[in-house]
Amino acid sequence: MYFDPNEYLLNPYISFLNWAVVVGCLTFVVLFISMVNLVATRGANGIGIFFDELGEMTADLFHLSPRRIWALTRLTYTEAIRRKALSVFVVFGLLFMFAGWFMGDSKEIKPDQVKVYISFVLTTISWLTLPVVLILCCFGIPEDIRLRSIHTVVTKPARRVEIVLGRMIGIWLIGCLVLAVMAVVGHFWIVRQIPAESQPLLTCRVPVYGTNIEFLDREGNFARSGVNVGDIWAFRSYIEGATKARAIWTFRNVDESSLDSDGNLNFENSFSAFRSYKGDMTRPLFYDIKLFNPAKNLAYTTDPQPVNEFRHKLDKIPRKVTVDNVQYDILKDFVNEKRELNVEVSCIDREQYIGMARSDLFIRMPDRPFWMGYWKAVLGIALTLLLITMIGVSASTMVKGPIAAVLTFVIYFLSLKDNHQFMDQLVFGQVQGGGFLESIYRLVMHMGPSQELPANPAFTVVKFFDWTLNNFLWLCRHVIPYSQYFNMPEFVSNGFDVPWETSILPSLLVTAAFIIPCVVMGYFALRIRELESK
Amino acid sequence: MSQSENVIEIRNLSKVYRDFWGRPKVRALNALSLDIKKGEVFGLLGPNGSGKTTTLKLLLGLLFPTEGEVKILGKSAADVSKNERIGYLPEESYLYRFLNAYETLDFYGRLFNMTAAQRKERSEKLLDLVKLAPQSRRRQLKEYSKGMTRRIGVAQALINDPDLVMLDEPTSGLDPLGNRDMKDLILDLKAQGKTVLMCSHLLADVQDVCDRIAILYGGELKVMGRVDELLKAQDETQIRSSKLSDAALKEVQEVLKRHDANVINIDQPTASLEDLFLKTVQESRERPGHRNVIDRQSVT
Repeated sequence: MYFDPNEYLLNPYISFLNWAVVVGCLTFVVLFISMVNLVATRGANGIGIFFDELGEMTADLFHLSPRRIWALTRLTYTEAIRRKALSVFVVFGLLFMFAGWFMGDSKEIKPDQVKVYISFVLTTISWLTLPVVLILCCFGIPEDIRLRSIHTVVTKPARRVEIVLGRMIGIWLIGCLVLAVMAVVGHFWIVRQIPAESQPLLTCRVPVYGTNIEFLDREGNFARSGVNVGDIWAFRSYIEGATKARAIWTFRNVDESSLDSDGNLNFENSFSAFRSYKGDMTRPLFYDIKLFNPAKNLAYTTDPQPVNEFRHKLDKIPRKVTVDNVQYDILKDFVNEKRELNVEVSCIDREQYIGMARSDLFIRMPDRPFWMGYWKAVLGIALTLLLITMIGVSASTMVKGPIAAVLTFVIYFLSLKDNHQFMDQLVFGQVQGGGFLESIYRLVMHMGPSQELPANPAFTVVKFFDWTLNNFLWLCRHVIPYSQYFNMPEFVSNGFDVPWETSILPSLLVTAAFIIPCVVMGYFALRIRELESK
Repeated sequence: MSQSENVIEIRNLSKVYRDFWGRPKVRALNALSLDIKKGEVFGLLGPNGSGKTTTLKLLLGLLFPTEGEVKILGKSAADVSKNERIGYLPEESYLYRFLNAYETLDFYGRLFNMTAAQRKERSEKLLDLVKLAPQSRRRQLKEYSKGMTRRIGVAQALINDPDLVMLDEPTSGLDPLGNRDMKDLILDLKAQGKTVLMCSHLLADVQDVCDRIAILYGGELKVMGRVDELLKAQDETQIRSSKLSDAALKEVQEVLKRHDANVINIDQPTASLEDLFLKTVQESRERPGHRNVIDRQSVT
């Protein structure tokens, strides 16, 4: 597994405050744009109209009718079905009818193949449902305006907020229907593809990761990282064998629930090995795990364990351990008052190296059934659908369908992990070569990124322009959601349960954060524009 | 609301359509002022592009006025709560074509927060009222003829038993029988004390059902008043009698000369509304800015 779930230490007060600030800022941006639009279209009266509309919207919130919202939801739902949105099942059916042909011999199931099966199913479902929802949410309201059928709705007591909410819920429901059917079929397909003897590979492990990883160098001093063995990808750091080099983890919240049914504390690792000499290639490298409690000056070290290269390795440590003929209880004697457990790993083989990252060692809690993780991943897709629906519907209240679709797609594309991280790099100045104009200048003039720009007023202007653009990018970076939170299928395909704190909760909060600004945007867009097809 | 209260008040209403850059493109309505009282059937007439539908859309809040003010049922056009008491039939029956007749009425009924029982009862009643054949009621609207779509459009406009009904070209697309039904329906609404505002090109229909009319041309109000008064020819006398033979007619003429005939009816003859309409349009072309508003603001 090559992804490193971030620590998400939930401080309810700070988290809520941050969330409220983001929602508030987003809503403020939406309201500001609405006011500017009104001033541009209605002149000086625009400001007065804006505040009137703000009052109307607040009043509307107290007059929301679930029956009207449900009516619009049903309308959207019926419209989608009768316009043959469900024909996406034909593509789905075709894919699953023949997918087994191209995905290996089912008699030789390996863990990686299981990963491919799960990944295929969940990715296919995502790729089929997202475009359907994208099209439905971006074309519904513009089509209503084009055909003027919206005239018969807005001339009834239906509030604009209700229209927006009804559309959003209706489209999301149809997306969820498609998703649910595909997910059920996909689940059966996965189980059916994997023979009975390989079914245990369908796991849903519950990891508890260390809060941090620290390294000691060969002299036993704290180091920022281990040894770089020449790997261009610095995800893992290596510790040298038969020296004082160590990797140290601190696990929090270790208690009874961390033990399995036999009372063992299970550590699972995916360490990698690096050999500085060939030696006996059939002999694995060895490591040991040391539990220690500095407060009691107590340590317990396991027997040497072989590194299971390219695979996971499970080490069971019994709750009762013996040190110097004295029996200790791990939970009582090694876990400190803060319910923290310190763990140290060392490499035993001289001049050989073992590589590790924070996520390469975790406490494996009792496994959950596979279906639980699978359906959590489906929930992740459903939340993505909801997010796209909200953005798409609110965009479609302002612009025509194709433009709304492109806009929503671009926002979704930018929200993807790599793109969002690239935005981070740009915003926080981690990319060399300057901003937009400066980098163009450097390209044209064949200047290296580290070369100083000439000091003259023109470049001051260029830098100011780039600075302004960078600030706009900063705003975009904060407004565009980070879809990695929603990427729950990645956990499941790697055989893990979807964690609440690092994935489900953030994705729920991100989704909730978008509801208010999207509804406000939709309301204003439908109120301040004339609902005529132009 | 008493009988003499204004259901609609329009003051100095203007609408200028603008292009993408905000430059004025068309002045669709210019300083329109009129009142419509409770219980009357008011007809808005005019050639294409005269501003009839624009007026209706401004009243409904679908368009925003450039200048002027609108009060409808005592509320502003932007106030959504006014819609509780309004029924609107758009020009082209812009309905959801994938729904059938029952689903359509059920949907609009829900928008008025009607209960399931109310919706069911009202739907049956209205579908009978607009005479939509029972075998057509479960078919999707996309399979309907224009006349059938018009009928279901009327039914949705009446789903909430409105006090004010706004009909844009209500007889458009209807056959003569449907046309008659529609006119009967409008008269029936009037008999129930409802206020009806209708736009139409079919002048005979307007003449048959409207109490008062206004003729718009180029976005300006040209003529407004009671239909019967507008159509009266002031300098002629009309004599109506039973059918006479040629010989008798000759005699009648003689008798008339001697002022000794058995006169059954003597009245001022009326021109057709079409004549008035065409005359108004012609005059408007020849004398821009001229107005001939004869409005006594009375309701029969």
